Amino acid sequence: MAQKFHNELKRLKDDVMAMGLLAGDMLTKAVQALKILDINLAEIVISQKDSLADNDERIETNALKLMTLYQPMAKDVRTIACILKVITYLNRIGRYGKDIAKVTLEIQKESHVAKLVNIPNMASLVGQMIDDVLNAFNTGDLSRIDVKSLTERDDDLDAMRYSIFRECISYMLEDPRTITICSNYIMVARYLERCGDHACKMAEKIWFMETGKRVEIS
Amino acid sequence: MEKDLHKNGYVIETHDLNLWYGSKQALMDINIKIQRNKVTALIGPSGCGKSTLLRCFNRLNDLIPECKITGEVFFNGKNIYNGSSDIVNIRKNNGMVFQKPNPFPKSIYENVAYGPQTHMIRKKKELDKIVETTLKKAALWEEVNDRLHESALGLSGGQQQRLCIARALSVEPEVILMDEPCSALDPIATGKIENLINELKENYTVVIVTHNMQQAARVSDYAGFMYLGKLIEFDETLKIFENPSNELTENYITGRFG
Repeated sequence: MAQKFHNELKRLKDDVMAMGLLAGDMLTKAVQALKILDINLAEIVISQKDSLADNDERIETNALKLMTLYQPMAKDVRTIACILKVITYLNRIGRYGKDIAKVTLEIQKESHVAKLVNIPNMASLVGQMIDDVLNAFNTGDLSRIDVKSLTERDDDLDAMRYSIFRECISYMLEDPRTITICSNYIMVARYLERCGDHACKMAEKIWFMETGKRVEIS
Repeated sequence: MEKDLHKNGYVIETHDLNLWYGSKQALMDINIKIQRNKVTALIGPSGCGKSTLLRCFNRLNDLIPECKITGEVFFNGKNIYNGSSDIVNIRKNNGMVFQKPNPFPKSIYENVAYGPQTHMIRKKKELDKIVETTLKKAALWEEVNDRLHESALGLSGGQQQRLCIARALSVEPEVILMDEPCSALDPIATGKIENLINELKENYTVVIVTHNMQQAARVSDYAGFMYLGKLIEFDETLKIFENPSNELTENYITGRFG
């Protein structure tokens, strides 16, 4: 029975990995679509939302099923607890991708008011954090999600968000016609920053899953 | 916490306890302290020595020929393995409940009254009172008070097991030793015994051997994991089941061996 349980737990972890890749992909593609104002790509991201929600629900159902059938202990129960938390964060990350894609649809008729390189920069930093977190979840190797490295990256994200905010304020003061689009930029920066926070929270859960000890990131 | 532990003291303590059945060593250097008014569970795969250890606490292994013991077992600070200890008294103070309910083939009343009678209580009034209070303590009174003089063998398995617990309680022990007390019972009867264990710890110390890890997790305050005659890890139950320190414990409770 134990063998059967561990096979099923492995399959559940694989499902979480697949969901993580989907959520990360939605976020990356959404920012890419925003950058080049690609409506088709934005619509693809929006359509992926349902699949993300299905993953969330299916994994939760299976996690509860494993708990009920096998009453796992120690690292096994911590793994399931971690999975239940991680899928919520992944769902939110994917949904922020969808929200960013909607911004692209809104501003499609206009052009960008500025280059705002910090938005793609934020997206690539968040994308890397999510990759590292998923890798740690899959392999148990915590070296890429050590507390110091993630805290520093999270601080960088905050700084970039603040710089986007100030930059947008100055555009809006110069030309009030940019207010709508700049407000959207500020929102996108805020979404990306939240995704970074979610990556840090997932990392905390993975630390607890692996070691049984609590760590605090940023 | 540490201070409290010390103040309450330990009912049972072993020092470097070793036990052999003939040439086979069944217990190796066991050092364990059993906390008063708590439930302590011993877990581990078959043959790891948990029942053997339990049986050292009331010298039940004395009955097995070729069994050799070294080391010390203290009950309330006194070594029960020195020559002068009174075995009858040791077993009175450490009541035992076994895997299969084993009531005497007598009436329910006689099962409970047997112990006190042996300990020289003969007055009917006094015995009646003991039978009633003890059956109440064992959460059986309500179910049997109208048929006290019927055969105990007519009771269900779960009721028989609670009768055996009542029989152990009737001589006012300090410790109840339970060797797989629920493994022959259905889930409902098991639930009743588990509730009972939880109530018993107000007045008694319980040591329970169980194969059922979920049961150990539910009922005990402390848990010891044994493997190949050794006590591998002993700690608060939550620690053992949530985040054990030893890899062998982790492997056992997550079903990776055993």
